[in-house]
Amino acid sequence: MHSNDAQMLVLTVLANGPLHGYAINIAIEDLTGRKLGPGSLYGALARLEARELIQPAPGLAETQERHRTMRITDAGRDALRAELQQMARVSEAGLRALGISPA
Amino acid sequence: MKASALMAGLYPPAVRERWGAEISQEVAASGFRSWPDTITAAARLWLHPSDWPETLTGQTRRVLAVELFAIIAVTGLLLRATEPSATLTADVHHPVTSLWLAPIAFGIGLAVPFPSPRQVTLRHLASVLVRPLAVPALAVLAMYVSARSGLVEHPSRPAHAALVVYYWATLGLTALGLCACVARLARTATVPGTHRLCAALLLTGTGLALAAVQSLLTVVRVAPPHAGAIAVTLGLGVLAAAAISAGHDLHGTRSR
Repeated sequence: MHSNDAQMLVLTVLANGPLHGYAINIAIEDLTGRKLGPGSLYGALARLEARELIQPAPGLAETQERHRTMRITDAGRDALRAELQQMARVSEAGLRALGISPA
Repeated sequence: MKASALMAGLYPPAVRERWGAEISQEVAASGFRSWPDTITAAARLWLHPSDWPETLTGQTRRVLAVELFAIIAVTGLLLRATEPSATLTADVHHPVTSLWLAPIAFGIGLAVPFPSPRQVTLRHLASVLVRPLAVPALAVLAMYVSARSGLVEHPSRPAHAALVVYYWATLGLTALGLCACVARLARTATVPGTHRLCAALLLTGTGLALAAVQSLLTVVRVAPPHAGAIAVTLGLGVLAAAAISAGHDLHGTRSR
């Protein structure tokens, strides 16, 4: 999967609330029908954290040591909103071109 | 070491520190089907240092300095593996063939972490250099002594194989030792800034690309092409691409 797609999926599931890596992948599977590979998932998490679009959620240090729970930042919400709006425009134009009225 | 832990170990330190345990667990749970995705993602992260979160300030620069010296060490091993050739090795009669070394030498000069004048004491340098280089130095010494002693002039086939393995293990240890020295030096010395590291990576990549082109020209001219020369050309090309890609990514970070 393309790294940008993986990043958007991670941001989308984190928009519902903080999750740790494994739970993020389960949520992505619920959303898309398939899990991300470990490299795609943790690569996306690293990139998003480096760009400060996600950050560790405050929690028990012991739990964080085993599973880092991450949450979306305000900048992450803005980036996700912009990306989804752009996708919605593309989707709308595509459906219109196919003669299907968008729901 | 388990394969899953080995896979997690492929990632840059900042990613490994954060997600290493979870990557290892996921790889162990998913089995070998997840290996290509895991390895590809690790390689992509190494080529894009701007994607690494930082645990400590300057961590990315320290790791990049070591990465650059690792690229140079692998280049040395690669060239040694195919024996010194007149195509690439410094030759007083053909100085132009060694021009590719110039940008790499500049790159090394830019990337090396310099201890501050207060730190440059014999004690400090010894503490930095002795531990990582002690074992390689002993291995080289043992190799030298055994070669000079005449004990291994006509070795049997198994002894010859053992000597070859020993020779390459020594070269590998020396390469690792040099990288470990840079890593230890980078912990206490002033690590070059992003601007200098970017230039160092791009210069090193340029030098390696020149060497790859030189090697390619030889491959094309000689018929039939030598398998070793093709391997060197490809290897140099891959190393050049890695250095240029990391430098280019860093350049993008500076521009942002």
